[in-house]
Amino acid sequence: MKFQIEEVTVYFPYDNIYPEQYTYMVELKRALDAKGHCLLEMPTGTGKTIALLSLITSYALAKTESPIKLIYCTRTVHEMEKTLAELKFLHNYQVKHLGAAAKMLAIGLSSRKNLCVNPKVSSAENRDSVDAACRKLTASWVRSMAAENPNQPTCEFYENYDRAAGGAVLPAGVYTLEDLRAFGKEKGWCPYFLARHMVQFANVVVYSYQYLLDPKVAGIISKEMQKESVVVFDEAHNIDNVCIEALSVSVRRQTLEGAIRNISRIENEIDRFKDIDAGRLRAEYNRLVEGLALRGDLSASDAWLANPALPDDILRQAVPGNIRRAEHFLHVLRRLVQYLKVKLDTDKVEKESPVSFVASINSDAGIDQKALKFCYDRLHSLLMTLEITDTDEFLHIQTICDFATLVGTYARGFSIIIEPFDERMPLIPDPVLQLCCHDASLAIKPVFDRFQSVVITSGTLSPIDLYPRLLNFHPVVSRSFKMSLTRDCICPMVLTRGSDQLPVSTKFDMRSDPGVVRNYGKLLVEMVSIVPDGIVCFFVSYSYMDGIINSWNESGILKDIMQHKLVFIETQDVVETTLALDNYRRACDCGRGAVFFSVARGKVAEGIDFDRHYGRLVIMFGVPFQYTESKILRARLEYLRDTFQIKEGDFLTFDALIDVMNIELTDRNLNQRQAAQCVGRVIRSKADYGMMIFADKRYSRHDKRSKLPGWILSHLRDANLNLSTDMALHIAREFLRKMAQPYEKTGSTTGRKTLLSQEDVEKLGNNGAQEMLY
Amino acid sequence: MSSGQVTKRVKYKTSVKDAGTPGRLSLVKERLVFRPNNPNSASKLDMQFKYITNHRYTKEGSNKAPMLNLTSNQGASYIFEFESYEDLHICRDFVGCANLMKFGHKGVAELLHRQQKLQILELIRKFIQNNPAEMICSSVQGCCKTIDYVLHSELQKLHQQFVGGGVLTEAEFWATRKKLLEKDANRKAKQRGGLKSSVLAESKPFIDGRTNRVTFNLTPEIVREIFSEKPAVHRAYLNFVPSKMADKDFWTKYCRAEYLQRSKNIAAAIAEAAEDEELAIFLKPDDILANETRRKIRRVDPTLDMETDQGDDYSHLPDHGIFRDGSKEVAESGNELYQRTLLQDLNRHAAVVLQGTPIDEEQLKDTQTVAEALERSKQERSTASKDDESSADQERLKGISQAMTIDDLRGSNDHHLAPLWIKVLSVLTHNISSTKYNLGKKPGESLLDSLPTSVRDELLHHHISIEELMKHFWSSYPITNKYLNTKVTKLKDEMSKMDSQLQVTSLLLNSLSVRLVQALEAAMQHYDAEQQKRASKAREKPNGYS
Repeated sequence: MKFQIEEVTVYFPYDNIYPEQYTYMVELKRALDAKGHCLLEMPTGTGKTIALLSLITSYALAKTESPIKLIYCTRTVHEMEKTLAELKFLHNYQVKHLGAAAKMLAIGLSSRKNLCVNPKVSSAENRDSVDAACRKLTASWVRSMAAENPNQPTCEFYENYDRAAGGAVLPAGVYTLEDLRAFGKEKGWCPYFLARHMVQFANVVVYSYQYLLDPKVAGIISKEMQKESVVVFDEAHNIDNVCIEALSVSVRRQTLEGAIRNISRIENEIDRFKDIDAGRLRAEYNRLVEGLALRGDLSASDAWLANPALPDDILRQAVPGNIRRAEHFLHVLRRLVQYLKVKLDTDKVEKESPVSFVASINSDAGIDQKALKFCYDRLHSLLMTLEITDTDEFLHIQTICDFATLVGTYARGFSIIIEPFDERMPLIPDPVLQLCCHDASLAIKPVFDRFQSVVITSGTLSPIDLYPRLLNFHPVVSRSFKMSLTRDCICPMVLTRGSDQLPVSTKFDMRSDPGVVRNYGKLLVEMVSIVPDGIVCFFVSYSYMDGIINSWNESGILKDIMQHKLVFIETQDVVETTLALDNYRRACDCGRGAVFFSVARGKVAEGIDFDRHYGRLVIMFGVPFQYTESKILRARLEYLRDTFQIKEGDFLTFDALIDVMNIELTDRNLNQRQAAQCVGRVIRSKADYGMMIFADKRYSRHDKRSKLPGWILSHLRDANLNLSTDMALHIAREFLRKMAQPYEKTGSTTGRKTLLSQEDVEKLGNNGAQEMLY
Repeated sequence: MSSGQVTKRVKYKTSVKDAGTPGRLSLVKERLVFRPNNPNSASKLDMQFKYITNHRYTKEGSNKAPMLNLTSNQGASYIFEFESYEDLHICRDFVGCANLMKFGHKGVAELLHRQQKLQILELIRKFIQNNPAEMICSSVQGCCKTIDYVLHSELQKLHQQFVGGGVLTEAEFWATRKKLLEKDANRKAKQRGGLKSSVLAESKPFIDGRTNRVTFNLTPEIVREIFSEKPAVHRAYLNFVPSKMADKDFWTKYCRAEYLQRSKNIAAAIAEAAEDEELAIFLKPDDILANETRRKIRRVDPTLDMETDQGDDYSHLPDHGIFRDGSKEVAESGNELYQRTLLQDLNRHAAVVLQGTPIDEEQLKDTQTVAEALERSKQERSTASKDDESSADQERLKGISQAMTIDDLRGSNDHHLAPLWIKVLSVLTHNISSTKYNLGKKPGESLLDSLPTSVRDELLHHHISIEELMKHFWSSYPITNKYLNTKVTKLKDEMSKMDSQLQVTSLLLNSLSVRLVQALEAAMQHYDAEQQKRASKAREKPNGYS
């Protein structure tokens, strides 16, 4: 459909639109008009992504005089793929209705590991080895060597791309990673470098958060994005964590040992170079006197990860004299590693501020703050000079230098915490020195400063007023939308007892009770026999899941479950889990039906949708908890309180950890974000439906339950608050029967429209959206 | 061949005596493409089927090579020599069908009149077998419509009455009949029996309690499961039995390893494996499986591929990011080499069940047979499936992007055309058809027989047309859009016309047509009630359309 929002004609690829989507677009347009940032919350299942993409691309089409670029950030690559699929659909529609004028270039960008088409390189095991394997073939010195020596292997894809030079362009269209690879293979060009090059010309760029937020990556990828860009962070409820993680480093014993090996290797290389090409080291010295300007003119294939500190915080000046010579720099590194080793060798927890830490490095190891600060760039320059291509071997020393640079750059917003062991496992020594960032606003600040509009959106952003404080910005629009449902298509239940009326819970003293384990098992056995297609089960932790599956196996419950559905399980191996998920979907698609066992805090819960027949029922076994006594968490709370006047309670309820003050180590803290994520991905549209069972007696208590997201609570009827297995079974049967009936999609029978046609939208445009919806 | 595309190795010749250019012939929906193996060769070919006027082929059993000769409308002929008759037949059928398509409705009708019904039906059946449903719907539908139409004069009458009379559109009329064809097509494909969901090999070992003896029970079915889930064991069996050890010894070793595995006594497992290299094979991680995993992960649905996430995550370089804030679980580390967990086994088992088995029940005789049959099918699959895989992937990707769309925002395309079998209707039709059936059968009450033929025919025709009307009427409820609303109004008009016609007849034949009248009245009542409800609602709410 095609409609007007003020002066902008919006091309929306469906015949109908949800009222929420319409108002969402209206608000978004206001923010774009004001050239400001905005914060929008809208529940999952309302087609947020397509609304966003439609409005922004239509806006760009309407304002041809000042073209805007869309930078769409997703948390993960698989979400990037989903977004690109929706964009493709939208683009086809726009081209069909507008013709060539609507043509645009949209690309997804990822790492070499995901884009490389050279079979010799892409077969390498992990990301870092692919990066290194690529560098071995494409680094500038390797290529110049190959010009003289034909036996020197190079990458034909990169060479072809390089030869095509300006001619190597992507024609208009929407490119998923697979499309990029296919295009690269067809043309014989390297898709990774082609995509990186095309990023500056593309109308839409989709990549993951860190390409903007993590200075290490942003420094090489996102340097040249123009100001007239709209940046979108989708699924942004965890954005503060991404920000602080981007600036945090930890050092363990293995790191230090690896770093020592790295230093010796560098030393050997220096000696070798002294013999064959001493001039090169001297040239480097001279260059360093002039400053760090070298970063700009590196050829793309040489670029390593950039400086871990934010670009504005890096001084453009000469590298201090005491680390200019390669040998001197190595001495500094050795002393630093030695110092950290001593620090790590402690038997009590220590917490320090960066300032005092830097001061003690200066007095104990004789390294001043400025030298620390330049460590990363100095190392980078040295590795370049030494023509080292197997960069994956040097990650340890890189970590040390990242640490040094960060600690030397930032005086506030960080702390250094040394722990001799994990408090949950005090018997296993595993000392770690952590430099942790507490201030999420640091990493995101350059993004807010640089770009015209930044849109932060998600299904759950409540309390919505907390985000501007955490991220330190001023949104021009900050709105939270409710979802209007045509029918009661979600059915949450709280199950407190098994069929034998004994309570069920994962509370510490009950969780291994055979009665609870059996009751949980019986619940699932009953459910698999009545619920069609897919069922997802979440457990509080891996170890609990492992234990319970093993005991179900012993007692034959698992066999009963498998009579009805296939069983797939999330494991700690990502590859295995991905395959299990893929098979799970196939089993749901082909009608065999399956159960997926997952962990509330695992990777699957974080980002995989179980919509439609992939999740007709979600069972949450127990109350997910977070260990709240962590030193890092405490330090962060303290910082938030002192700097932003955010009270601990506020943040913790928000972050789902409740009453930390009442110390009880295990089991009591329901993570709201986690629970919302586990169950919140069942609904894809208003036509979809699903049930959720919260199986723990503690959910019947108000204080636990109230941490669940509002849209679930609003569907949780009082009658469903205290169920036993047989009652839940009955309700589930009734619900499924009800959902199978045909219903009126527009919702006109319930008094409020939940689906708008072209005509309705035009009427709205005339009357103003508000009065009709609220 | 599920993709609607056929590719075969051929030699392309301009005349029969020509030696020919080796290459590949691909037949796609509307065109045929020949690509020579030598890319520099001039004899490439790419033409649309519509230019082909005639095709001839060598008969099987003649001592000539299998060849297909296509003649274009310019009189040029293209000859392809195939490697086997099987290839030739597949391509011949494809070309034949494509030709058929070209004629369209009229052409087929004409052919039908020329008494070539059977031949055409045969062609179409083959085409349906070899092609995905969507393609059949779009292209064959046209032909089948015509055939159906010509073959069933009854249908023709109905068509004239409703489509001609403007009550139903062409699409609506045929939508309820699409199923008839599909059913036919599906019946042809041979279905293999699936695997049981439950894990057989997991069945507990039998312990007699008095001695330390542990007994495992192995049936050929369990062996099949073990071999398909653990390809390394399968390979070991093929290598060792019977050249190196006896069947029984092999399984004793295997069970010993299983026992060690399950008792979770890792130290003992390591110790025994160090002494016995065959036993170690059972305890080691499966390398064939690892390779397969690596291959499969490349073809996984990209919208859930968490491995690519890991490959893109530079914030979590080793030792970067927040390490110990209590949000991550403490992982226990163990001896990786000998730790195969139950969870992994379950995932593997479910994957194998989902994949299905290539071995039929009758082949489940003894271990040796199972092992060999499995090996054979594996080889077949690896040679045959390479080409299929990529096209299957394409299909899958298309499905994914379709799944991304939001169903209820789409206009009601095609939705209202789907035949809806609700209870009322099926009871009604059952009643009516049983009446019709019984009437003819029971000699005592041969009411129909007693009627003059013209009245009887008229009556039967009434029955069929009412059935048709009812089908459309009931499948239109609930009325969710304007389209359905107008459709129902039209149907209602037609129904009342029928009703009045029937009233006349019913004076003559009360006992039979009363049922038909009942059916009509039930529907009319429903319509009135609904209409009233709508009217009252529309008055309350200006937004609901009326």
